Amino acid sequence: MKRKVFFTLVLALFVALLAWVWRERVALRAFPDIISAYTAKEYCSCRYVMQQPAEYCRGYVKQSVPISDFFESAEAKRITVSGLGRSNSARWVGERLGCRLEP
Amino acid sequence: MSKGWLLIPLLLLALSAHGEDWPGEQWPTAPRPTGPAIETLEHYAFPARDDATRQGIRTDALLVIQDGRLVYERYAGSTGADTPHLTWSISKSLLATLYGVAYGEQRFGLQDPVARYYPALSQHPDMTLADLFHWASGLDWQEDYEYAPLNSSVVAMLYTRGRRDMAAFTAQHPSFSPPGQVFRYSSGDSNLLAAALKNIVGPARYPDYPWTALFEPLGIRRATWETDANGTFVGSSYAYLTARDLARVGLLMQRDGRWGERQLIPKEWVAFNREPFARFQAGQDEAMPGGHWWLNRAANPTQRPWPDAPADTFAALGHWGQALYVIPSARLVIVRYGDDRDGSYRHNELLKRAMAAFAAAVQP
Repeated sequence: MKRKVFFTLVLALFVALLAWVWRERVALRAFPDIISAYTAKEYCSCRYVMQQPAEYCRGYVKQSVPISDFFESAEAKRITVSGLGRSNSARWVGERLGCRLEP
Repeated sequence: MSKGWLLIPLLLLALSAHGEDWPGEQWPTAPRPTGPAIETLEHYAFPARDDATRQGIRTDALLVIQDGRLVYERYAGSTGADTPHLTWSISKSLLATLYGVAYGEQRFGLQDPVARYYPALSQHPDMTLADLFHWASGLDWQEDYEYAPLNSSVVAMLYTRGRRDMAAFTAQHPSFSPPGQVFRYSSGDSNLLAAALKNIVGPARYPDYPWTALFEPLGIRRATWETDANGTFVGSSYAYLTARDLARVGLLMQRDGRWGERQLIPKEWVAFNREPFARFQAGQDEAMPGGHWWLNRAANPTQRPWPDAPADTFAALGHWGQALYVIPSARLVIVRYGDDRDGSYRHNELLKRAMAAFAAAVQP
């Protein structure tokens, strides 16, 4: 009897979790992109709009979520960052328009 | 004798012109005050900077304009006088001031439906431009940066689902209230304004409009304003100016939209920026919203947001401690850039100390 109550509870929790995942599916799918996109965009602007030193900008964009890969092409003024299994790039497009994430 | 009488008005005119300072290529300067009040201000704004933990108050720039003259300027970290610093949400107030130029060109009315200029909002025919300036679109927006990233509308807008077309992303949000009724701070509302401006000034003028309409007349030579992939200015977040240049916008606002001899922005537009939003309720935000600027006005029965600053203080405020304060009664403009990550910075503390250091000298 006790085991049955326990099993029912776990099942109910699991169904609730599934319902939540379904409800938040759009946000959840986009979520892993945040850290790499944020890091690429804000680093690019720090470096090429605010013209701060590279080392300063690495500290400036640091968040608690780690990134796994960081590549900066100084000639192209383009930054590619990977983290949580996703990869995003930002590029400097000009003095007035600064940096932008690539689509 | 009669010639002498004729000269008097001319003399008065010359005196009044000399009595008002404006920046040319550079700001005119005045002697920097010294003494304990300045030390108290610096003690608050520039404590030892902790770059390892990023805790505490981390001011990047502090600049004070008094009577149109630069009286104080100090930088920290790697920010300098030539650094175009990210302003974050100060951009929203810059957008509102840019709109002021278009208002002077009589290109729109505040009660115009937004959908007239931004058809993606055709399902919200009652939403007016004024509603957006009051952050009262009624759209169900979640403004939260770091603490609730999953459901943060602003994080999704800037970095993931919304980044290609931020206004379209905002317009897809459902309503939680009819427009104009409820204040809810929203970067999405600001970017709807940025998108509507495209049709208000025309797509041909739009890409250069911030520079031709506002920055160049003020003598701002180096400003960056980033766009989304659709070419819409990120009106909510991504304008970059040096502290000296942001202070020019502050002086324009302090002097009711006038720049030298030219009324760049109608006085009534600045009055709208400074008029409290009547539907705002105490506690909904840390200061009183006006027309996309923040006011030191109380939502009864509570205290003013910055009790130690004059009641006519108004400000443009941004994430991580960015601030442009304008205090017309003390003829002060204060720019404060920062990189505060823990929210310990208090506007009132800085304003209190700045008033003690600078406003005393203004007394006639």
